[in-house]
Amino acid sequence: MKLARRKFLKVGASGIALMATAGCDQMPRELRQLLAMVNPGGGPFQAPASDTIDPIIHALNRAGFGPRPGDYQRVCKLAKTPEAAAAVYLEQQLHPESIQDEDADYEARRFETLQEPPGELFEYQPELLQNELMRATLTRAVLSERQLFEVMVQFWSDHFNIDPSKGDCKWLKIVDDREVIRKHALGRFADLLRASSLSPAMLWYLDGRVNRRANSADKPNENYARELLELHTLGVHGGYTQKDVMEVARCLTGWTVRSTINPPYFQIGKVEFDPALHDFDSKIILSQTIPSTDTTLSKDLLEQRGRHELDRVLEIVAAHPATALHIGTKLCRHFIADHPPQAAVAAVSDAFRKSGGDVRETLRALYQTDGFLLTRGNKFKRPFTFAVSALRATGARTDCGVEILDYLKRMGHAPFNYPTPEGYPDQASPWMGTLLWRWNFAVAMSQNQIKGTRVQLDALRKSAGGDEHLMAHFLGRKPNPAEAQAFADSGDGLALMLASPAFQWC
Amino acid sequence: MAAIEHFIHGDGDRKQALVVVFLRGGADGLNMVAPLEDDGYYRARPRIAITKAKALALDGFYGLNPLLSDLQTAYKDGALGIVHAAGSEDDTRSHFEAQDLMEHGGIVGGGWLGRFLRARTAGTSGPLSAVALGREVPECLRGAPAATVFSSLDDFTLGANHARLMTSLARLYEAQPDDLGAAGNSTLEAVRRIEVLRTASYQPAHGAFYGDDEFSRGLLQIARLIKTRVGLEAASIDLNGWDSHFGQSTVMDPLMTRLAKGLGAFYRDMGSEMDSTTLVVMTEFGRRVAENSAFGTDHGRGSIMFVMGGGIKGGRVFGKWPGLTQDVLEGPGDLPVVTNYRNILAAILQRHGAGATLDKVFPSFEIQPLDLYA
Repeated sequence: MKLARRKFLKVGASGIALMATAGCDQMPRELRQLLAMVNPGGGPFQAPASDTIDPIIHALNRAGFGPRPGDYQRVCKLAKTPEAAAAVYLEQQLHPESIQDEDADYEARRFETLQEPPGELFEYQPELLQNELMRATLTRAVLSERQLFEVMVQFWSDHFNIDPSKGDCKWLKIVDDREVIRKHALGRFADLLRASSLSPAMLWYLDGRVNRRANSADKPNENYARELLELHTLGVHGGYTQKDVMEVARCLTGWTVRSTINPPYFQIGKVEFDPALHDFDSKIILSQTIPSTDTTLSKDLLEQRGRHELDRVLEIVAAHPATALHIGTKLCRHFIADHPPQAAVAAVSDAFRKSGGDVRETLRALYQTDGFLLTRGNKFKRPFTFAVSALRATGARTDCGVEILDYLKRMGHAPFNYPTPEGYPDQASPWMGTLLWRWNFAVAMSQNQIKGTRVQLDALRKSAGGDEHLMAHFLGRKPNPAEAQAFADSGDGLALMLASPAFQWC
Repeated sequence: MAAIEHFIHGDGDRKQALVVVFLRGGADGLNMVAPLEDDGYYRARPRIAITKAKALALDGFYGLNPLLSDLQTAYKDGALGIVHAAGSEDDTRSHFEAQDLMEHGGIVGGGWLGRFLRARTAGTSGPLSAVALGREVPECLRGAPAATVFSSLDDFTLGANHARLMTSLARLYEAQPDDLGAAGNSTLEAVRRIEVLRTASYQPAHGAFYGDDEFSRGLLQIARLIKTRVGLEAASIDLNGWDSHFGQSTVMDPLMTRLAKGLGAFYRDMGSEMDSTTLVVMTEFGRRVAENSAFGTDHGRGSIMFVMGGGIKGGRVFGKWPGLTQDVLEGPGDLPVVTNYRNILAAILQRHGAGATLDKVFPSFEIQPLDLYA
């Protein structure tokens, strides 16, 4: 049932009124929330007892944003050995559609503007929309049971990066997140690519909407064509030439978006193809010829042929072997190591190619590589992952509000705030300068100084079964003597754990 | 790692601190730096023009509003340059649209300063590389590798348990063999330095006297951070309220006084540190040349920009004066934009090490950096 936010706020203060208003189907959720306030993490939980990160913690770290209290125990029970349990968990995560996710759905539903159709979005202040999008993203990362799905949403949001501060992206990035990234995050790459190419936000962000040839003097705008080849598909060393970029741009002339700055001022955000602005001469892309079209054909036929050129281009680039290698490399960098082993990259790229770009199949292959199975605790958490993993590990109750976003901005990693098309970097070195804010965040969390976010440390310690186990829960393994000593000496054990070197890795 | 190294060696700010002052509301350049020798100016503003007698001489053609007298020292030292008829191509005359375009640097993702910091540092930056005085990060800093809203140095401490926590963190990070160990140690050093700064009282140098208004207090904090060498590369501060439709002098006089006093104190306080610092003042648009019936001026186009700092060929007014004849004026009678603001910023960013990244900072624009430097 959909509960209007205003209505919710009106009655939110009174639990009884809330239940009465929300109806029976909301009651269990509400009751559980009340219980969670008394008992964060849902009662006693088991922490890892190994000296090194075991396969279960590894799976929770890499295919998600780290364990919450109780997650480790739940995954342990899935099979007899940690290896087998991790494998079962990863397979479950590859099927988000069969994972119940009512907590995250419930919390994310508060951001109701994100469900608006494109036309309606333009009624809202861009700041409101961007805040809701960032908060919803954070909320899902913290709460969703579909952790891998959220990780892949982030991966593709970087891969097909759009900074919503450009032009009408202010409104249209909402649609892109919903209809492009989230819709296809674990689907087929070709579908994702096509949706992105016709996403009104992408047409704005990379200037596709002004790529046209109305007359022979018009030069195509190459911006999207270049990033399509360099970033989205083949990769910078993928074997294309400057000529290919120009030819791709010519194939994509004529696509545009109805906008706030040019008439007609209705159906804003609608993507259209105008054959009169398309270049119908022949082109050669990566050695494949796109034949010319006789421009005396009927308007309908011209439109059909012109639109088809986009499909041809995407077909050629999506199936190119360099694309499999490019995507495979990026996935391995994300899930395995900054410099992933060749064997893993080869296996993952191979799976991408053989499956016709099926993201699920590709990830399944990745999880079976030695690279993934044997390299643990070696990825430096990006600030978003750091903050989310801290919120999860502490079982914090949080509104994922502006104060958390402010910390992410200080660390240079607020969602959808990367200005240029390559997206946030996925290696450690650019993020090494963020420790001061990580420590600051750790202290603020531990001291309950973040408005809208609350950690109940005593209850958490009790549920973990004492300091030793609490440390193991945060570190993903038993603490070494130096860590145990520092914990005891620090005067603020929780802050120390979150700020410790070990917690910066996953 | 370079930016983090700067922390340790304390030379993080050499030739790299850029302070951006944004005058929001559309500040009237003609009322700050008046074209005394253009009769059109007096014809258009019979009641509110600055008279030749009152104006402070600049170069024989332009005169400075007497309320800006605190800028004279820097101007005479050759450390302050003025660019007249500067602005952007946005002709909506809307505050929001014009600020948006100026801060983003066109229809493009992120802010110009954010993109500059990303491109220049290849993504690696210290935690205090960019600060914004005030309540929120301005759009020009959007997308910066680290952008901190700065209100007080207390924001940077590690809470009530500071000392014990620092000792414990030091023990763990010192034992790290990798890059993280180095980053941890640099950060510990930065925290120690900020702690010294936080607990010490600050005495501005060379007898500089900052006012007690928010703008001056902000500039003082910026000067302090630059001098302490915590790796500050960019700072942003606003002075708002320039929308002088009604009673030009009531609106502008106190703001001009605050602006000049603040900049004057900053210049004096910084002393030779100014060699490696640039301060630029900008506004989203200027005002209509002709005064309106309410002794005010309406939204216009070209205004002025101030550039203060090391290496500048200051003590002069840059940019070609277009004149104020009817054939020159734009739209409803506005001073046209002769110098695009990007060409001023581009020259500054070159001095701040932009190198080949300028086309990333200002894409889709043919950059012709203004000849600001010797």
